[in-house]
Amino acid sequence: MKLNALILDEVEVINNHHRLIRVNTRVSAGSVLTIMGPSGVGKSLLLSAIAGVLPAPFRQQGTIKIGDQDITALPAHRRGLGILYQDPLLFEHLSVAQNIIFGMPPGTNKYVQAEELLAGVGLENYGRKAVQTLSGGQQARVALLRTLAAQPRAVLLDEPFSKLDMQTRAQTRKWVFDTIRQNKLPCIMVTHDEQDARAAEGEVVTVSNSTETI
Amino acid sequence: MFAATLSLSRWIFILALIVPVGAGVLGVILPALSYFPAIGETEFSLDAFDALGAVQSLPYMIALSLFTGLSATFLALFGTLAMLAVFYQTTGLQWIQRLLSPVLVIPHAAAAIAVGFLIAPSGWPVRLISPALTGWSLPPVFSPLHDAMGIAVIVALTLKALPFILLMALSVLAQPHLSARLNKQLNLAVTMGYHPASTFLKVAWPMLYPAIRLPVIAMLAFATANVEIPLVLGPGSPPTLAVAVLQWFNHIDITMRLQASAAACLQVVVTCSAVLFWLLSERVGAGLISRWQLDGNRVTAARTLKGVAVVTVLGILTAVMLMLASLTVWSFAAHWPFPQALPDAITVLHWASGLTSMQTPLTNTLLLAVPVSLGAVLLSILVLEYEKQRDHCSKLTDKVSGDLLLFIPLLIPGVAFLFGLTWLAQLAQAGQWLPTYVSHFVYVLPYVFLSLAVAYRRFDERYRYVAYGLGASPYNVFVRVTLPLLSAPIAIAFALGLAISFSQYLATLLPGAGAIATITTESVAVSAGGSRRLSAVYTLMQMILPLAGFVLAWWLPAKWFNPAVHSR
Repeated sequence: MKLNALILDEVEVINNHHRLIRVNTRVSAGSVLTIMGPSGVGKSLLLSAIAGVLPAPFRQQGTIKIGDQDITALPAHRRGLGILYQDPLLFEHLSVAQNIIFGMPPGTNKYVQAEELLAGVGLENYGRKAVQTLSGGQQARVALLRTLAAQPRAVLLDEPFSKLDMQTRAQTRKWVFDTIRQNKLPCIMVTHDEQDARAAEGEVVTVSNSTETI
Repeated sequence: MFAATLSLSRWIFILALIVPVGAGVLGVILPALSYFPAIGETEFSLDAFDALGAVQSLPYMIALSLFTGLSATFLALFGTLAMLAVFYQTTGLQWIQRLLSPVLVIPHAAAAIAVGFLIAPSGWPVRLISPALTGWSLPPVFSPLHDAMGIAVIVALTLKALPFILLMALSVLAQPHLSARLNKQLNLAVTMGYHPASTFLKVAWPMLYPAIRLPVIAMLAFATANVEIPLVLGPGSPPTLAVAVLQWFNHIDITMRLQASAAACLQVVVTCSAVLFWLLSERVGAGLISRWQLDGNRVTAARTLKGVAVVTVLGILTAVMLMLASLTVWSFAAHWPFPQALPDAITVLHWASGLTSMQTPLTNTLLLAVPVSLGAVLLSILVLEYEKQRDHCSKLTDKVSGDLLLFIPLLIPGVAFLFGLTWLAQLAQAGQWLPTYVSHFVYVLPYVFLSLAVAYRRFDERYRYVAYGLGASPYNVFVRVTLPLLSAPIAIAFALGLAISFSQYLATLLPGAGAIATITTESVAVSAGGSRRLSAVYTLMQMILPLAGFVLAWWLPAKWFNPAVHSR
């Protein structure tokens, strides 16, 4: 796996003629950039812009790069950016293993691989289960396995732990960050939880609530 | 390729709603202006309108259409207001919703026939209280059926309109962002000492009504121009205008077609007048409510609302139970002399002969309903998916104008455009099936689309974003994520499509030139034929069919798309 950084070059989210947020940064492989700030400043919109799913009427400016490749103009599904939200959003019409397989590139023995991945996170023999039967922490783990199975080039986290209870949150948080570092992926996390930021052990950018007219 | 299909579907959608109705209206205006080459009339004139004006009972017909349509819509709306005011935020409302939802899918023809069973002078309710309470040992001579005032018509129309308006209101009130705020506002007003029912009237209704206004007006347009209910329950000669149009069109003398076309144009005017009158009345109502809002009275109309709500709930409950019971008893009844409360014996003979004679109509019913509903569901899904994918550049007005288009077939009276459509289809030698499919599609599409749009637009976008992040293309996300996750609402929309198609009377009778018999057209024919037992069988079948569709729609998606079922 190549060690590519995720580069945001003057990336802005614009609503009509108001700039909501602007970020200029470089996230190296295996590190987590935390973006903090009060709700409503457009943190999640920034992630949507990076992922290529910014809804109307918002617009985006600037350049997004992975390593040397400019991905700004690519459609969402060709950017190779895995995204995790506060809800695990597992596909309920698929079993646990099928959810992970959904992310895998074409190949053989995918069921076996999925079960191995599950076993690695303490979910032996969970492959055939329905996702609704899993606890919140278990679902969060499956969601990250699914994201990693797609072999993304970077990972985006949108308030990923805010819906977990206190105990599960600390465990899941540690495991997610360890896994991302092990996989040498650049990662951007949006949160308003200070503990998330501390555990990420990376650069923290704080954005404020000022809309600039341009 | 996928993107092209989606944007094409948008155009098909718009054309499917506009072209048949537009062509149909044109096809009725031309003969109304005496242009009808089939009988050698190629000169435009107003002769047909003169002939129509000379019909003596015309003012009565118009008045009857207006009176029945406006009364039924008002009663249904007032009943809805009262039930919401009294039962909102109580568990009673869920019960009412569960009770009324099935009534919504009962075809109008079936409802009309069932009301006929209820109020017939020799019907079961009369037998139950005779001769003990009435002293009648023979059926009374006077009959509430076919009464000159159209009271029976109003009863049946209200029975069908009320669930429609109530469920529309409930779907608005179920919107999370609206209900959260509204509930707080209502509670706040109650703490100021306002009676809950008065609070609803003063706080919630002024916000709710604008949101259900379009469906209410569509209901009014329908009620003033409906054919099957006044055909079964209304006065015979003279009937309502819409029924008269039907009779003149089917008149042996083909030149009557010109007068019929003129009358169909008049029907549009009558329906528009009803809508105008309604819009004016709205002002009066709004003025009244805004005066009440500030008068400080804590119990405004509370008693009235309570009374109306109780009467409405009990009335509908009793009516539905008695209708089902009557139909069932009659469908199994052997010899049953008046005024016995129960028949002498029970027989399955009527069901046996009914089911035998039903084979062709049943096949036709399904041959029409299944492809039409499939097509409508598919087209609606593609259009909604188009709307989603184009969200990056679309304006909100796009969405709204698209939704307004849906009301075209619901606002323009069927008698007006279906005749024109039939005539054009005959000119084009399109046979009977094609125009019948088209007219069913025109009616099925709006309901299917509106029912799917709720689920589709509420669908959590992040599922798609996650799937994009996993590298799935828009087409793959559509087929492998969106469709399976929405399988339940899609199945419900399909079942709704079936129910709407099953219930079509005029849209089957006219374009099919009477050659395509369905359960609904046969049911109306049998009800006029005099065998009450066979009629009961047909009417029950009309009710069973759509309900069967919905039961399947609840059951199948859970079976196919829910791994939880298999892993347990």
